[in-house]
Amino acid sequence: MRGSTLTTNTIRTRPASGLALLGTELSVLFRRKRTWAMLAALAAVPILIAIAVRLTRSGSGGGAGPAFLDRIENNGLFVVFVALGVCVPLFLPLTVGVVAGDTIAGEASNGTLRYLLIAPAGRIRLLAVKYVGAAAFCLAATLVVCIAGALIGFALFPSGSVTILSGDTVSLGNALGRSLLVALYVTVSLLGLSAIGLFLSTLTDVPVGAMAATIILSVTSEVLDQLPQLGWLHPWLFSNYWLGFGDFLRDPISWANFVTNAELQGGYIIVFAALAYGRFAAKDILS
Amino acid sequence: MSRNWLRWAPAAAAVVVVAGVAIAVPTVANASVSLPDKTPTQILELVASSNVRAFSGTVEETSDLGLPSLPAGSVPSSSRGSSSGALSAADLSLLTGPNSLRVYVDGPSKARVQNLESLAERDVIRNGSDVWVYDSKDNSVAHTTLASRQHFVRPGTTPQATSPDPTTPDPQDATPAGLAKKLIAQLEPTSTLSVDSNVRVAGRPAYDLVLTPKVTDTLIGSVSIAVDAETGVPLQVRIDARGQKTPAVNIGFSSIDLATPAASLFAFSAPAGAKVTEINQHATAPKAPDAPATKPTETVTGHGWDAVVTVAAANSLGTLSQSRSFGELTTAVAGGRLLHTSLFNVLFTSDGRIVAGSVSVARLQEVATAQ
Amino acid sequence: MTAAELAIETRGLTKRFGGYAAVNDIDLSVPHGSVFGFLGPNGSGKTTTIRMLLGLASPTSGEVRVLGAAMPRDNASVLPRVGALVEGPGFYPYLSGADNLRRLDSADLYAPSRTRSARVADALERVGLSAAAGKKVKAYSLGMKQRLGIANALLTPRELLILDEPTNGLDPQGTREVRSLVRSLASQGTTIFVSSHLLAEIEQICTHAAVMSVGSLVAQGTLDQLRDVGRPRARVQTPDPQLATGVLEKLGMTVQQLPPDSVDTTVVAIFGDKPVEPDTVVAALVKAKVRVRGFAVESPSLEDRFVSLTGEGFNVDH
Repeated sequence: MRGSTLTTNTIRTRPASGLALLGTELSVLFRRKRTWAMLAALAAVPILIAIAVRLTRSGSGGGAGPAFLDRIENNGLFVVFVALGVCVPLFLPLTVGVVAGDTIAGEASNGTLRYLLIAPAGRIRLLAVKYVGAAAFCLAATLVVCIAGALIGFALFPSGSVTILSGDTVSLGNALGRSLLVALYVTVSLLGLSAIGLFLSTLTDVPVGAMAATIILSVTSEVLDQLPQLGWLHPWLFSNYWLGFGDFLRDPISWANFVTNAELQGGYIIVFAALAYGRFAAKDILS
Repeated sequence: MSRNWLRWAPAAAAVVVVAGVAIAVPTVANASVSLPDKTPTQILELVASSNVRAFSGTVEETSDLGLPSLPAGSVPSSSRGSSSGALSAADLSLLTGPNSLRVYVDGPSKARVQNLESLAERDVIRNGSDVWVYDSKDNSVAHTTLASRQHFVRPGTTPQATSPDPTTPDPQDATPAGLAKKLIAQLEPTSTLSVDSNVRVAGRPAYDLVLTPKVTDTLIGSVSIAVDAETGVPLQVRIDARGQKTPAVNIGFSSIDLATPAASLFAFSAPAGAKVTEINQHATAPKAPDAPATKPTETVTGHGWDAVVTVAAANSLGTLSQSRSFGELTTAVAGGRLLHTSLFNVLFTSDGRIVAGSVSVARLQEVATAQ
Repeated sequence: MTAAELAIETRGLTKRFGGYAAVNDIDLSVPHGSVFGFLGPNGSGKTTTIRMLLGLASPTSGEVRVLGAAMPRDNASVLPRVGALVEGPGFYPYLSGADNLRRLDSADLYAPSRTRSARVADALERVGLSAAAGKKVKAYSLGMKQRLGIANALLTPRELLILDEPTNGLDPQGTREVRSLVRSLASQGTTIFVSSHLLAEIEQICTHAAVMSVGSLVAQGTLDQLRDVGRPRARVQTPDPQLATGVLEKLGMTVQQLPPDSVDTTVVAIFGDKPVEPDTVVAALVKAKVRVRGFAVESPSLEDRFVSLTGEGFNVDH
C-alpha cells in the first residue's frame, strides 16, 4: 500500500495563491506584543505633544521647535502634522527597521523559517508575503500617528476649518482628506527602507543585527541628506523626500514630490527585492 | 556553480534597469533640438513680441556662488532692502541653495509665487491692487494696497527713477520670464549677443540667447537665456561666473502650463488667526507717518555689467555685523569687510556703507573711497 | 530494488562548508513503506543530510531524489507530500499551539484552508496536545514542543515523514507514544525516515537503517542485514597465523588477518553458517599444533557493530 492514494483525495492539486499565508502573516505580526508596544509608542508621540502644548500655552513659539507647533492652539488637526514631522525622521524608521529587519531573520531565529519553507511556502512567495507584511506595518504605524494625533488634537484644541501652508483656508473635511493623503505619502516614503530591511534580513539569522543595520542605514541616509557637499547624491537617498508630505497642505496640491518619491522608493524596492531574491532563493537554511 | 551566479541575475538586471531609467530619462529630455535658425536680434524680437499673459509652472533655482556652506537658516532669508542694479532679483535667499517655486501669472496684475520649502511655504500674491505676503512659518501676513492704476514697473522703462517701494515685491521677478526681461533691459546695450545651440526647458524647445559682457571688469562670464521657440517666453536664465564651470545661478521652469490659472488662486485673504501687518503705502505719500525707518539711500555708479551700488548706512547693518555667520562669510580687506562670491562682491565699509557689484574688490574700494 | 520503489535516493551526495565536508559522498536508498533508521553520533552529518533531502540546503555535489522527483528543483510538488521535524521544533513562542499549526499549515499551498481547523485539532489529538492547544507555546515544556513539532508533520496525510530525533526531550511515556505513532503510520503505508543517535530506538521501530560516521555512510540495509554483519567471531592469539588460518577456514569461518604484532599475531575469524562450538575450534587448533596463546569468542550486538563502524560510543541511556 502506498500513501499516495491518500493524497489524491485530501490534498488540493493546484496551489493556493498565498493569501492564506498573508493572512496568518498579518495576524502573527499584529498579534505580537512587540508590534503593539511599538504602535503604542508611536501613538504616544502626538499625545505627548498635544498635552505639552496644552499645558504650556506659552503663546506663539516664534517658529521655534517642530514645524506647525504654534498652529496647534488654533486647530487640533495640526497635532497630526507636528507628530508626523517628529516621527518621520526617527521613530517611524526605527519601528519600520525593527519590523523589516525581523522579516526573515526573525523566522530563522524562531526556527520557523525551515518549517515555512518545507510546508512549502515557496521562497519567492514567502519574501513577497513578508514584504507586504512590512508594508502593512508602515501603513498601520503612520495611521496610528495620524489617528491618535487627530483624536487628541480635537479633544484638547478647537477644530474647524484649517489654514494650510499656502495661507488658504480649507474645510475640516477637506483637511482630513489631505491628512489621509499625507499618511499615504509617509507610508510610501517608508517602503524603500522596508525593502532594504527585507534584504538585510536575508543576510543573517540574528534579527537584532538586521534591525540595527536597517536603522543605521536610515540614519546614515538622513545624515548624508544634511550635507550640502553631497548635493549630487541627495536625489538618490531614500530619505530625501521624507518630509515632502507638506505638499498635500498646499493649494493647489503639489504632486511633484509624491511622484518623484514614489519613483525613488519603487527603484529601491526593485533593486533590494531583487537582491533579497538573489540572496534568499538558493540560500542554505541552516537555522 | 552557474546556478549560484544565475540567482543574482535579477538583482543585476534591476540595478541596470533602474540606473538606465534614471540616466536615460534626463538624456532623452536633453536630446538635441532642431529649430529654424534665428539671429540674436530675432530672438530679442521674439521675446518682445511675446503675448503670453497667463501661465503657471514650477521654477527651480540653483546657485553655486562659491560660498562656504552654512547650515540652513543661518543666512538671512530675505533682505528686502536694497533692490536695484543689475542683480536686484538675486535675493539673498538664492544663497541658500536650491529653491523650488510655483508661479501663477494671469496678466500684469494677477500673480502668485509660492516658495516651496520643507513643511513651509512663503507666498506672494498680487491681485489687482492688493499685494499679500504670507509666511507659513509664523503664520504672518503682510498686506499692501497699491495706489490705483499704478502697475509694477515693467522692464524696458527706467527702473531707478520710478521704482516702486522696494518693500513691495513683484511676484513676477521670481519667474525666469520676469528676470530675463529685466536682465535684457539692463545688460543688452553693453553686451555682445550670440546664440548657443538649442535647448529643451520644461519639455519645450527653446533658443539659447547668450549675453557676454563687452567690459572686462566684471565677475560675470555670461548670461544665457533660454527663449521658448513657440511663444517667446524666457524659460530659463543661467548666469555663469568667470572661471567657474557650474552655473553661478540657474533659474528655470521645470514645468510650464500656458493655460490661465484658476482665478481662485489670486483671491487671497488673511486666514483666521494669522498676524496681519498692514503696510500703508501711497504713491503720493513717500514719508508715511509710521514708516519703520528711513529708507536707505542708494547710489548706482556705472550702468550694466559693472554697475556698483552703494547703500548708505542702514541700521540693519549694525545687527548684521554682530552675527557669527557674518564673520564666517566675510574677510577683512582694506576699508572694511568683504563678502566674496563667484558672481559678485559686497564691501561692508568701516563707516557702515555697503558697496556691491559684480566687479573686482579693487573697483569696489575705488568707488567706496571716491564717495 | 529499482529507483521507483525508493522513497529517498541520493547519489554521491556531498555538502561542504568551506573545506570541511559535513556530508561526504553518500548514497542513501530508502525503500517505500520502510521505517528507515538514520543512525549516527551527534555531528556526523545527519541533520545536514536531512536539510538537503528537504531542499533547505543545496548539495555541493551529487543528486537527491525524494518520492521520485529531484530536489531541490521539485520542492513545490514534493514537499506537500512530506511531513518533517528538522533539528527540533520551531515555533512562535507568543502564539498558542493551535495558532502555530494554523500558521504553518497556511504556508502549505496545497493544504485546503476549509479543513484547516479540523486538521489542526486532529493533529493535536494524535500527539496528545488537545488540552494544551490554546496555551502559548512559550509555556510549553520541551517535550510538549516536540509533540507539537510532530503534530505539524502530520497536518496533512503524508507519503513520507522525515523525523529528526523525534524522541528528543520526551519522557519514557512520550517516547513510547512516538514509537506507537510511528508504527501505526507505517502500517498505513507511510514511509518513515527517522534519525537518531539512540540505537535502542532504531532497533525497536525500524525495518531498515543506515549508519553515518564523520560525514560518510558506513553501513546501510535492513536491520537483519546489518545484524548479519555482526555474527560472533573468534579471536585467536598465536605466533602461527598461517597455520591457524588454515584450520579456521576448514571450519567454515571467514578469517580477517590483522597486522602482525611484535610477538604474536591476532587472527579474527567470523563464524560461518555451519554452527561450530568454540571448544571444537580450540581443540582443532591444538590438534593442528597451533600454539594458542589466547582465545576469545565475541558475540557483538548491533551496538558493538555500530561502535566499530563509527569509532564512537552511542549514548545508550537517555
